[in-house]
This record gives sequence, structure tokens and C-alpha cells, in this order.
Amino acid sequence: MHLIDWLVMAGTLLFIVAYGTWKTRSVSSVKSYLLGDKDLPWWTIGLSIMATQASAITFLSTPGQAFDDGMRFAQFYFGMPVAMVILCVFFLPVYYRLNVYTAYEYLEGRFDLKTRSLTAFLFLLSRGLAAGITIYAPAIILSTILGWSLFWTNLVIGLLVIFYTVVGGTKAVSVTQKQQMIIILTGMFVAAVMLVLKLPSDVSFGDAVAVAGKMGKLNVVDFEFDLSNRYTFWSGMLGGVFLFLSYFGTDQSQVQRYLSGKSLAESRLGLLFNGIIKVPMQFLVLFVGILVFVFFQFVRPPVHFNNANLEKVEQSAYAGTLAALDSQHEDVFSQKQESVRELIGAMRSEDEAGIEVAQQQLAGFMQQEASIRQEVKALIHFTDPNLETEDNDYVFITFVIHYLPIGLVGLLLAVIFSAAMSSTSSELNALATTTVIDFYRRSIRTRETDRHYLHASKGFTVMWGALALLFAMFASLFDNLIEAVNIVGSLFYGTILGIFLVAFFFRKVRADAVFLAALVAEFLVICIYLMGFLDAFRFPFLWMSLQFYIAYLWLNLIGCTLVVVFAVYLQFLMGGGGRGAVAASRG
Amino acid sequence: MTHEPIPEHERPPVFRAWWQLYAFVLILHALIIALFYVFTHHYS
Repeated sequence: MHLIDWLVMAGTLLFIVAYGTWKTRSVSSVKSYLLGDKDLPWWTIGLSIMATQASAITFLSTPGQAFDDGMRFAQFYFGMPVAMVILCVFFLPVYYRLNVYTAYEYLEGRFDLKTRSLTAFLFLLSRGLAAGITIYAPAIILSTILGWSLFWTNLVIGLLVIFYTVVGGTKAVSVTQKQQMIIILTGMFVAAVMLVLKLPSDVSFGDAVAVAGKMGKLNVVDFEFDLSNRYTFWSGMLGGVFLFLSYFGTDQSQVQRYLSGKSLAESRLGLLFNGIIKVPMQFLVLFVGILVFVFFQFVRPPVHFNNANLEKVEQSAYAGTLAALDSQHEDVFSQKQESVRELIGAMRSEDEAGIEVAQQQLAGFMQQEASIRQEVKALIHFTDPNLETEDNDYVFITFVIHYLPIGLVGLLLAVIFSAAMSSTSSELNALATTTVIDFYRRSIRTRETDRHYLHASKGFTVMWGALALLFAMFASLFDNLIEAVNIVGSLFYGTILGIFLVAFFFRKVRADAVFLAALVAEFLVICIYLMGFLDAFRFPFLWMSLQFYIAYLWLNLIGCTLVVVFAVYLQFLMGGGGRGAVAASRG
Repeated sequence: MTHEPIPEHERPPVFRAWWQLYAFVLILHALIIALFYVFTHHYS
């Protein structure tokens, strides 16, 4: 990497960290540390919410997903604006009225301590795992592509985040996220512009989009109702609403962002701002992936995007086979490029028959290309079965490193680091807050001074930061990083949301019923998820050997529905008594 | 956890009531999805 890129990247990141630390140097009480003096305007809240959700994985994985699978992933976010409105109407007023530090505090007033503790524990479990992935995901990719040490990349990201989160707490998180989000949006916009500028001079932007469409990559909306299809309009609108209600309404890393708002109105506006902006922003990120796809129709891409894997095969007994496959790939690419140009010519002259012929040729070449790439993956696996053969996460970073000019490489790397730091800081801040407020101050050391809890909050931030770093050091690459984080979330979010929905809308349900319902629902959600894997092994029992794969987004809906149904049913069996009766009438 | 009065009457900017702003967000979202649908069909 060029010295100028190092200066741009390091300068950007150090400026953000220094600015955040300096702006929050006077934080001296636990309320200020955990709720940031409640003085943030709506645009800071909105950007902070967006930055918390948009991790580095978003900017590494999403363009790669569009490159491979088209734009249908945009549907994942379709439920978000609806969820934002529901939160503004039902959740926010309750949190503001009760003046809580965490979402889980409300559950003790409504139900009892054990329900609050169970929900907070589920949050710590899911978010604690995700925090490690948030650091590890960009570190493994950057270290592989740039030849950096994975250990030092993990350590640098982790230590920078821990430093300013410990010093300034919630306020430092929000202040830095505003800067980080500006860098991220600028960087992605610049990447899109550069991709258009790098197209051949005889290929216009319109041609590029049309080619992507004819090659089946612009499939943004799919109305087919198919439970096993991960991304459709229905999974986004139904499963997605439940996922986002749970994530934004009950995940402390998000709740803490809008609880630090100046007023209820500012928090509402921050959430609605996020609801409006998020879908178009995700469209832009996916569209960058589409432009990378079109770019690689005119510039030959590597036969496999993870160069470190190729180097290992080149040093093995399979080097000759790899060279032969690479040569085949080059031939197919040349013929495919010709077909793309024929397609463009046919589209310009509105020759429908020519378009169809070119499309059929292209489909054949794409199939051949996919088959060669698959054979290369098999070679990688034969060389070392422990190597990860999935390379979608390396597509965008390969373009950045090899095709962007000096200076912009540093800016785009700063984007990826900023995204990693912004989401990790929120997570550490929320994990520490929940640990202090819902466990330490509530059940362990109940009568200490404000100063004691301030130090405890900082101590727990360091502890969760160290745990996340440790997890990042020992994690291994998942099939697709962004999906791994979402799957972990989906296993627990449904249950957590179910508890909150019962609290808000089923006033007659008491603590014992909802507690038992949550335990049973969580057990069943995990069973349903695992049954997808059992099926792969042709589990010999009758009903389990049937196809039983449910896309993970639906787990949110299933978990939530199970909690609500079981809680209402159990309460019916238990009758009108039980703990939580008084609280319920007050709730 | 303390109970605090909240200014429920606080109006959103531009709109006269919160429900109008919520409706605006949802209608805008429906329009965006409709545009995506047209985009998908136009280029497929």
C-alpha cells in the first residue's frame, strides 16, 4: 500500500478518535456516561443509529453479495420503515416515561426481576458473540488481501474502539459515529463514481445498468411467497418487521442511541430519519456491487478473489491444474466480453432477436465461468480442507486495492475501519450498560456511589472489549459474514421481541407465564434452526427427513409468535393470579 | 427507573401531527418499493 494511502487512512481514523475523546473528556457521572446527558439532536441520533447497524461487514460483504446474487438482498430492509413507525408509537413513549437506562429495566416493572434478567441475558449472549464477529470480519479480509497480520489488525481495531468508548461512553460513541457515517457515505459514493469512470469509454452508465439487468442482477423485488427463499418481499416485510422491531426496540445497542436524545420528539425523528434513508442507502451499497460486476465484464477478474488461497494452490501439487483452469477462464472471459459488447450493440439498435441471442450466449458463458470457479474452489479444498473457499467477501476489496487510485484506497480502507469501529463501539457500550444496570447495580452491588458505578461501567466496557477481541482472535470465517451475524441475531431476537410485545399489548399476562413461554419458545427456535442441518444428513426419523429448511429471517416471526401464543395460553391455564398482577395494571 | 412526564403534545417539524409524519414515511416507503418494482421489471 502506498504511503499516501497509509496517511489518509491513519489520519482519518486518528482524527475521529481524537475528536471523540476530546469532545467527551468531561464525562463524570454514570448518567452522563451511559445516557450522554440526553442532549443529542435528531440528525446525530439518526446517523448514530445507522452507523451502529452498518458494520464493516455491510461494506465488504454486501457488494460481494450483489456481485454474486444480484440486488434481492435489498428486500431484507423492506420492513424497517414500518418497524420504525411502530417503535415511535408504542415503544419510545414508554421508555421516555419510565426514564430507563436499558430496555430491560421496563420488564421488571411490568413483570418481575427474572424476566428482566432472562431478557438481558439473551441480549448479552447474542450481542457478545456479534461483537467479536464485528471486529474479526474486516480484520480477516484486510489481513488476507493486504498481507497484514491478522493479530495486529484485530488488535488495532479493538484497542482504538475500546479506548474512546471507555473514555467517553455513550457520548463518544454517538459523536464519533456522526463523523464515521459521513466518511462511510462519502467513500461509497466516491467508489460508485470511480466505477462508472472506469468503464470502457464506449460503454455508458446506461449501458452498464442495462447489461446488469439483462444478466439477471437487478432483481430488487420478488413477490413470490416461498418460505425457503431468504430474500423476498414477504420475508422482508413480515420477517423483517419483526427482526427490526426486535433489533431497534429491544437491542440495547440501538435503544441506547435514541435514549440519549434531547427529547422524545428528537428520538422519534432520529428513528424515522433512519427508516427513510436506510433502504436507499442499502440500494446504493448493493448497486456498487453491481457496478463492480459490470466492471469485471470488461476487465478480467481473478479466477478466485481470495489471492491467498490461490497462492497456496500454486505451491501445491495442484498448481498445473490451476494454471489450466486459469487459462480456460481467460478464454471464457474473452468470449463473454464479446457477447457483452454484442448485447450492448443489440440493445442500442433495439434488436430484440439480437438481445435474446446475446443473452443466451452470455448465460452459457456465465455457467462455464461459474463451473471453472467451482473447480478452483474444489482445488483449494483439496489443497487444504481448512481453507475457506467462499470468496464473495473479497470481491469489493479486490477492486478497491487493485483499481482505485492512490489516496482513494486509503479513504475506502478508512470507510471499512470506520464501519467496524462504529458498530463495535455501540455494542461494547450497550453490553457494559446492560451488565451494570441490569445485573451489577440491580443484583450484585446495589448501594454504591455514582462514582463507583461510573468506574464499574468503564471496567465492564474494557471487559467486553477484551472478550470481543479474544473471540475475534479465535473465530473462523463463516459462509457469509453478514449472514452469520444476522442468523445469530435471529435465533434470539424473536423471543426477546415476544416478551416485549406481551408486555406492551397483553396486559393480563403475568410474569410466570411469559417467563416459561420465553424459555419454551427459545428452545423451539433453536430446534427449528438445527433441523435444517439435520435434514442435510438425512436424519432417519420420518418427519425430520422431510425438507425442513426455513430461511433464518422467519425465525424472528416464529420465536415472537411462539412467546405470545404460549404466554397467553399459559396465563389462561394459570388463571388470574400470579406475580406481576399489580405491575401489569400499572405498566 | 423513575416515572417522568413526557411532552406528548410536542409537534413534529413541518407536519401538524405525528400520525401525518408516520403516514408520510410509510407512503414514501411504498413509493420506493414501487420504483424498485418498476426498476426490476424494466431491466429484467
